[in-house]
Amino acid sequence: MKKEFRVSSDLSKVQETSSDVLGFLKPAGLSESALYDIRLCLEEALINAMKYGNGLDRSKPVRLDVEFDKRQVRVSVEDEGPGFSPRKLADCTRDDNLLKGSGRGVHLIRHLMDRVEYNEKGNRVMMVKYLS
Amino acid sequence: MEVQTSDHNGVTVFRVKGEINLSTSPDLKRQFEKHTVRRVVVDLADVSYIDSSGLATLVEILKKTKVHGGSLGLSGMPDKIRSLFEITKLDKLFTVYATQADALDAASK
Repeated sequence: MKKEFRVSSDLSKVQETSSDVLGFLKPAGLSESALYDIRLCLEEALINAMKYGNGLDRSKPVRLDVEFDKRQVRVSVEDEGPGFSPRKLADCTRDDNLLKGSGRGVHLIRHLMDRVEYNEKGNRVMMVKYLS
Repeated sequence: MEVQTSDHNGVTVFRVKGEINLSTSPDLKRQFEKHTVRRVVVDLADVSYIDSSGLATLVEILKKTKVHGGSLGLSGMPDKIRSLFEITKLDKLFTVYATQADALDAASK
């Protein structure tokens, strides 16, 4: 099953979009823990795309492609920004960064999803959760 | 999200219920700022979801408490939330107690 979602870069739309995506994933019969991880990573990626990618410009949409089968859930989040390099992000787990207010979203995505890939431009992240 | 505040012999307990996310985090911050407290326990037993903005808000509350020479303990963390603290290494920054009673005991000493 596959579905495309488009959402304007408006942070008040994050919850509603995430709830629509989770509703679409309902037939996949995900565990509570997998649902939590997917929701969190989707919302983090969506917020980053709206804020840092599209600069909260409501005329610029964020595109979500969500797909699942018996083996995996794939969520791709794409913005219209210039892209970024996740490798250049400061490590939020370093002692001198622990008190900082940002940078944890990408780190959480990396740890909670089973596969995370960025396109070359850095404006699309594809996240995969394997279903056991 | 709901926040219940209570005083236990000079230790202020913030019992949070529901989700600490992008839209509710500012409210948690406001609730905290309403009180001038030095010894704080934030009870997360009834928190069902937290995102990176929720984690950042707790870090901010911790910083403000420390600036005033105070202490902050977290208690009752559900397993999923505890795992997020471990992944982000915030478990090194916060003192985490199994129960609110444990956190109150430590804060009263």
